[in-house]
Amino acid sequence: MVMQNVKLALSQKTSVNFLYLNHHLEKLNAPSGVEILLSPLAYKKYKWVRKYFISPPKEGYFIWVKNQPSHPLSTCVGITQRKVRQGLNNLLVVESGIKAESQVACSAFLRNLYSEHRAEGKIILKENSSLSYKHLHSWAEGDFVEPNYEFILEKGAQLDYQYQLLNPPQNLTFKTKYILNDNAKARAKIVILSKKSIININEEMILSGKNTSGSVFLRLVGDKNSQIHSISRLVAKGESRGHLDCQGLILDNTSQIRLVPELINENKKALLTHEASIGRINEEELNYLRARGLTLKEATELIVNGFLQLENQ
Amino acid sequence: MKKPLLEVKNLVVETASKTILNNLSLKINRGETHILLGPNGSGKTSLVYSVIGLPNYKITKGVIIFSGKKINKLTLEKRVKLGMSLVFQNPPVIKGVTLNQLLARLNFAQDKLEKFPFNQNLLSLGKRELNLGFSGGEKKISELAQLVSLNPQLAIFDEIDSGLDITKLKQVIKFLLNNFKNKERSMLFITHRGEILKYLQPTFTHVIINGKIICSSRDWKIIWQTIKKYGYAKCKTCFKSKNIR
Repeated sequence: MVMQNVKLALSQKTSVNFLYLNHHLEKLNAPSGVEILLSPLAYKKYKWVRKYFISPPKEGYFIWVKNQPSHPLSTCVGITQRKVRQGLNNLLVVESGIKAESQVACSAFLRNLYSEHRAEGKIILKENSSLSYKHLHSWAEGDFVEPNYEFILEKGAQLDYQYQLLNPPQNLTFKTKYILNDNAKARAKIVILSKKSIININEEMILSGKNTSGSVFLRLVGDKNSQIHSISRLVAKGESRGHLDCQGLILDNTSQIRLVPELINENKKALLTHEASIGRINEEELNYLRARGLTLKEATELIVNGFLQLENQ
Repeated sequence: MKKPLLEVKNLVVETASKTILNNLSLKINRGETHILLGPNGSGKTSLVYSVIGLPNYKITKGVIIFSGKKINKLTLEKRVKLGMSLVFQNPPVIKGVTLNQLLARLNFAQDKLEKFPFNQNLLSLGKRELNLGFSGGEKKISELAQLVSLNPQLAIFDEIDSGLDITKLKQVIKFLLNNFKNKERSMLFITHRGEILKYLQPTFTHVIINGKIICSSRDWKIIWQTIKKYGYAKCKTCFKSKNIR
C-alpha cells in the first residue's frame, strides 16, 4: 500500500516536494514560505543548523517551514537499486506559531534489493507551532532499516506523529525520542506489521516542562516467525501527564512479541499511566466476520488492517 | 411435496462438553416465518449458532439440511454463502474497521437500500468503527444493512427487538415483511416480546425448553397467552395446542 503511495507520488510529481532516490535528488519543489535543501548544503549555508548535526551530513534533507504553508508537505525517499546503503541526516524545523503537516514516505521500490536505509533526524517545533507528521515505511525481505528520530517541542508546541509499517524489512531498529517543554503536547501512534522480521523499538518520551502531556500508542502484529522487542519509556520531569498504550497481536506460534513499558516519574505532581496487552485475535470478532461470508483469512486480514489503521486514513 | 428450506433432525449439540441441544427437530419451508420462544438458557441462541455453524458448537448427533444439502460439516462462511444469515443480538466491536468498509466487502449496493427505513442514520453510522459505541438501535440498523447486502434465503434474527422502541420495531418489521417475506425466503426469529408476534403473524411459533422444541403451533396467540399467563412452566405440561406439527 505504501509502495503504491510512493509510486503514485512519483507519477504525480507535482505533489511531491522532495524526492530522493538511492543517493540522488530527483526533485525539489519548495512551496512558498518553506525552504528545502539537501542537508549538506544547509549545513554549509546556515551556521545555526550545525548544532543539530553531530557531524557534517553526507545526504538527507533540510526543511525549514518559515511561514504558514498552504498545503501539506510531501517528502519521499526511495531505493530502486540493489545494495544501496543510505545514510541520511534530516532536519525539519517549524517556526513559531506555524501549523504544518508533513507526509514522509520511505520505501524500497522493488523486492530483493538488500538495501540499507539509515536515517537520523531531528524535528524542531518552535514555540506554539504544531506539526502533524505521517511517516510511512514500506520495505521488503533482505532490507535493513534504522530510523532514529528526535522530536524537540518548545513551549506550547504540539505534535501528532504517526508511523506505519505494513511491508517490513528483514531488520528494523526504530528509535524515537520526544522532548516536551512547558505546555507542549505530543501524541505518537506507531503501527507495525512484522512478517519474517526482527523488529527492535526503542521509544522515549520526556515530559520536561510544566503542564505537558504526552501519549504513545503502539500497535504491533507479529506473524510468520517474527521477533518484536519494544521498549517504551515515559519520563516525567515536570508537572505533566503521560500515557502509554501498547497492544500486540500474535498471529502464529512462530512469532514473539516482547513489550517493555517503563514509567519513570520524577515529579510528585505528574501522573503517568500505561496499559499493555499481547494476545491473539478475538475469536468472536473472527466468527462475526465469517458469519458475513468472509473466509478465516479474509476476516483475519480485515481485523489486522483495522488494528494497524492510522487516524484519518 | 416441496422440500423444506431448513430441516433440523434429531440434533444433539455440545459446547464445552455440555449438551445444549437435545434431540431437537425443526422444519422451515420456503416462504414461512417462524418464532422461537423460550426461557433464558433454554437453547434458543445455541440453536441458531449451531445452524449457522459457529465453531464451538459441536454436533454429536443428528443432521442439518439446508436447501437440500447436508451442512453439518460445512464451515460458517460456506453456510452463509449457501444463503443463510444471522442478525446478532450483541455484535462485537471491531476496532479500526468501519461499517462502510464491511458493507463494501459484502458488495453492498445503494439501490438495495432504497426503501431502507434508516438510510439517514446509515450515512453517519457507516463512517464509524463497527459497533464501537453503537446504541442498541444503531446496532440493529448496522445488522440490517449487512443483512440486506447478503440477501439471504433464510434470515435468522436473534432478538431483533432488543434495544428498539416500539416505533422503530414497527418500522423494522414493516421493512422485513416488505423485503424478506415472499414465497422463496424464510425468517426465523428469537424473541421475548409479544408485540413482534402480532406484527409478524408467524407461520409457526415454537417453544424450546432444555434444548428441545416441546411445542409448535400455527396459533401464536395460544402459545403467547399461555406463556404470559402461566409462564414457561406450563409449556412443559401442555402439549394440547391445536395444529401441532
